[in-house]
Amino acid sequence: MSKNTNNKTTKEKVHSATITGITAPYKTDLFTRIVSLSPTFLLLLLILPVLGGLVCVLLPAFSWVTALEQTTVSLQGFHDLWQTPGLTQMVALSIATGLLSTLLAFVMTLMILAAFFNSVWLNRIEHLLSPILVIPHAAAAIAVGFLIAPSGMFSRLISPWLSGWELAPDGMFPHDPYGISIILGLTLKELPFLLLMALGALAQPELGKKLRQQYKVALNLGYYPITAFFKAVLPVLYPFLRLPILAVLAYASASVEMPLILGPNTPPTLAVTIMQWFNDVDLNLRIKASAGALLQLALTGSLIALWLGSERAIKTCFNGTLLNGKRHYADALWQKITAALTTVVIGFILLALIGLLMWSVAGFWRFPAVLPEQLVLLHFQSAFTQMSTPLFNTITIGIVSTVFAIVLTLLCLEAEQLSQKPLSTFTSLIIYLPLLVPSIAFLFGLVWLQQLVNNQTAFFNVAFTHLLFVLPYVFLSLASSYRRLDPHFAHVAASLGATPAKVFLQVKLPQLFAPILIAIALGLAISFGQYLPTLLAGGGRIATITTEAVTLANGASRRTSAVYAIIQMALPLVGFILAWVLPKYFFKSGKNSSR
Amino acid sequence: MQSSLQIKDLQLYRQGELLLSLDEQIAGGEILTIMGPSGSGKSSLLNWLTGILPNGFTATGEVWLNDKNVSHLPTHLRHIGVLYQDALLFSHLSVAGNIAFAMPQDNKNSAEKLNKKQRREKIEQALEQVGLAGMENRHPDNLSGGQQARVALLRTLLSAPKAILLDEPFSKLDTQLRVDTRQLVFEQIRTHKLPAIMVTHDYSDAEAAKGKVIHLDL
Repeated sequence: MSKNTNNKTTKEKVHSATITGITAPYKTDLFTRIVSLSPTFLLLLLILPVLGGLVCVLLPAFSWVTALEQTTVSLQGFHDLWQTPGLTQMVALSIATGLLSTLLAFVMTLMILAAFFNSVWLNRIEHLLSPILVIPHAAAAIAVGFLIAPSGMFSRLISPWLSGWELAPDGMFPHDPYGISIILGLTLKELPFLLLMALGALAQPELGKKLRQQYKVALNLGYYPITAFFKAVLPVLYPFLRLPILAVLAYASASVEMPLILGPNTPPTLAVTIMQWFNDVDLNLRIKASAGALLQLALTGSLIALWLGSERAIKTCFNGTLLNGKRHYADALWQKITAALTTVVIGFILLALIGLLMWSVAGFWRFPAVLPEQLVLLHFQSAFTQMSTPLFNTITIGIVSTVFAIVLTLLCLEAEQLSQKPLSTFTSLIIYLPLLVPSIAFLFGLVWLQQLVNNQTAFFNVAFTHLLFVLPYVFLSLASSYRRLDPHFAHVAASLGATPAKVFLQVKLPQLFAPILIAIALGLAISFGQYLPTLLAGGGRIATITTEAVTLANGASRRTSAVYAIIQMALPLVGFILAWVLPKYFFKSGKNSSR
Repeated sequence: MQSSLQIKDLQLYRQGELLLSLDEQIAGGEILTIMGPSGSGKSSLLNWLTGILPNGFTATGEVWLNDKNVSHLPTHLRHIGVLYQDALLFSHLSVAGNIAFAMPQDNKNSAEKLNKKQRREKIEQALEQVGLAGMENRHPDNLSGGQQARVALLRTLLSAPKAILLDEPFSKLDTQLRVDTRQLVFEQIRTHKLPAIMVTHDYSDAEAAKGKVIHLDL
C-alpha cells in the first residue's frame, strides 16, 4: 500500500545502503531492498491505524455519522456528555487512579533501586518480580480482587482470632468508590514493569558500567548509598525511564480491565463508561461515546503533560540540592523502610497468587478457614470442556501477531545496521505510540475503518489489532540484544563473500537465538492478555481466554474465574520456559552452557 | 597530628588462594607505589582499601587511617579518595557542579558553613591553580582527556579526603600530558600532606613518586 508513494525514499535508502553499508553488488539484492523498506513500513503500520482510528472517532464526536444518517456537524454529542450524571466523579476517579498508581510504582521503583543498587538483592528482586510482568492485567486484577474481598485471603488470615469475624463482613473492597482497589492492582502490576525497564537500561554495557563507576565515585566522596543513587545515578538514568513511565501513566488512566474487575460500578471510571456507551444497543449513544473518547484523550494527554511539566519543575527546584554537598538524608531509615515495603509488596503478590491457586481447586471453603476443606479438580475439568475454542483462538492469534512482529522488528533492526545510522528519535517515539494513546480512544475508530475496508474475517482484524500492541514490546525486547551484536562477525563474513542475507540468516540470527525466543515469549504473553482489542476488533465473535476471564470475573463463580486466571498465567509461562530451555540445546554458545 | 595510612597484616585471597600480603605504613605526603603485572592483585588491593572487595575475594587485615581503625566502615564513611584511569566526571553536572558535588557541606577549616558564593569562589580559585580558569560552566564531555583528569583531581582533593588512592590514573594520557599531570597530582598530594598509594605499571611514575616501591609477583 505504501510502496508506490515511497519509491523516491526507497531509492534513496537503497542508495545509501550501497554507499555506506557492507560491500554489496552494484545492484542491491532483494534482501537489502526489503530490509531498507522495513523502517518505513513499521512507521506506517503503527501510525496509520492509530491516527486513522483517532480521526474516525473525531468525526462521530461532532455528530458526523453517515451510518445514522447524521451529516451535520453539531456539538450535541458533547452536550450529552456534559449532562452525564456523575461525570466529574468518573473523570476524578480516572485521574486519581492513573496518577496515584503511577506515582506509587515509580517511587517504589526508585527506592528499591537506591536501597539495593550495589547489593546482590537487586538481582534476586529482579528474578522474583520478572514473572509478574507476564501476568495479564485481567488475571492480576482477579487475583488482587480475591485477596482484598471481604471473604478473601486477608480476611481469612486474620479471622477470627484478630478481627472477631465469624462470618464474612460487609466490605468496601474490592469495588470501593475511591478506587483504592484499582490503585492497588495497577501499582502491583506496574512496579515490576518499571523496575525491569530500569534494570534493562542499566544492563546496557556502556551505560551500566559508567553509572556503576560513578556511583562508586560518589561513595568514595562520602555520599551515603541512597543519597549517592539519587544525586549521581538517577539524573542520568531517568531519561531512559521516561517513556516507560508515560506508557504506564497512559495505560493506568485509560485502562478498562482493571476498573471493570476491581472498580466501582456507580460511577465507574471514564474509560469503562465510554466502553459501555459504545456497546450499547442504542446506536445514537455512539456519538456521546465518541465525544467521551476525545475527553479521555484529553485526560490522558493532560496527565502526560502534567508529568512532563513536573519533571522540569523538580529539575529546577532541586538543582541547588544536587550541589549542596549534603551526603546524608536519613539514609539508614529509608533503607529499612524500603526493605520493609519490598517485603510487603512481594508478600502481597505471593499471597494473591496462592489465594488464586487455592480458589481454583477449592471445594467447600467456609469463611474463616485459611485452607479449603476440600480440594477438587472439578473446576479445571469443567472449564477445560468449554475452553477449547477460546484456547485455540488465543494461541493462534498470539502466534500470528507475534511472528509478524518479530519478523518486522528483525528486519528494521537489520536496516539500522545496514545503513549504519541509528533509528531516529521519531521512530523510537512512534514505537511507543500504541502504548501512549488510550486504546479506548482509537480502537473504536480503527474497528470502524476495518469494517470499511470490507474485511469480514474477524480473526484477521483481531490479529492485526493485537500486532499494534505486541510490536512495541517485541521491539524493545530485541533492540538491545540486536544492537549489542559484535559487528566484526558480520564484517568477517562479508569479506568471505557472504551476501547480506546470508550474514543475517547464518551469522546474526543464530547469535540471537535466546533473545528472539524471549521476545517471542513476551509477544505471546502480551497478545494472550489483550482484552479490549479482541473484544472490539472481533465484534464480540472471537472469544479468547482473557475475554472469557473478564466476563466471568464479574459474574460467575469465583472458582471458575480463578481457573481461567490461572490458565491466563500458565500460557505465557510455557512460552518463557521454552525460551529458557531451548537455547541450552540449540545454537549453544560458550556463555550459555555454563548457566 | 601526623596523618598516616596504615595497612596492618593484609592477606588478600582470591578463590581461596593467597594473592598478596602487605604490611605498610604511609605518612602524609608520601606516595607508596605498587607495581606488578595484570592479575597480581593491584586493583583488588585498592578495592579492599575502599571497602568494596568483590565476590570471590576475601581478606584479613586492617586499615588504619590517622590512627583510627576504619576496616569495618562502609565506603562512604572512610573518606578515602580515589583517582581512576577514567575521569568519571558526572555528565549531568558542569565542571563546577562536579567539584561542588564533592565539597563537604561544612568547611572543615572554619566554624561556619560556606555559603553558595564562597563555594563558587573556592571552585574558581582551584580551577585557576590547575590552569583551567574560566571553565566552570563547561560540560565535562567537552573537555580533553588531560583537562578531565585535572577536574577529577580537583574533585577528589576538594572533598577533603584523609588519604588518596591512584589507580593507574595517568595511563590514558599521552607522554607529555602524563608528565605534567603527574607532577600536578604529586605536588597537590605533598602540599595537602595526604598519604597516598599509587598503582601503576609504568616505571617513570614510580620514579617521579620518589617513595617506596613494592613489586607484586604473580
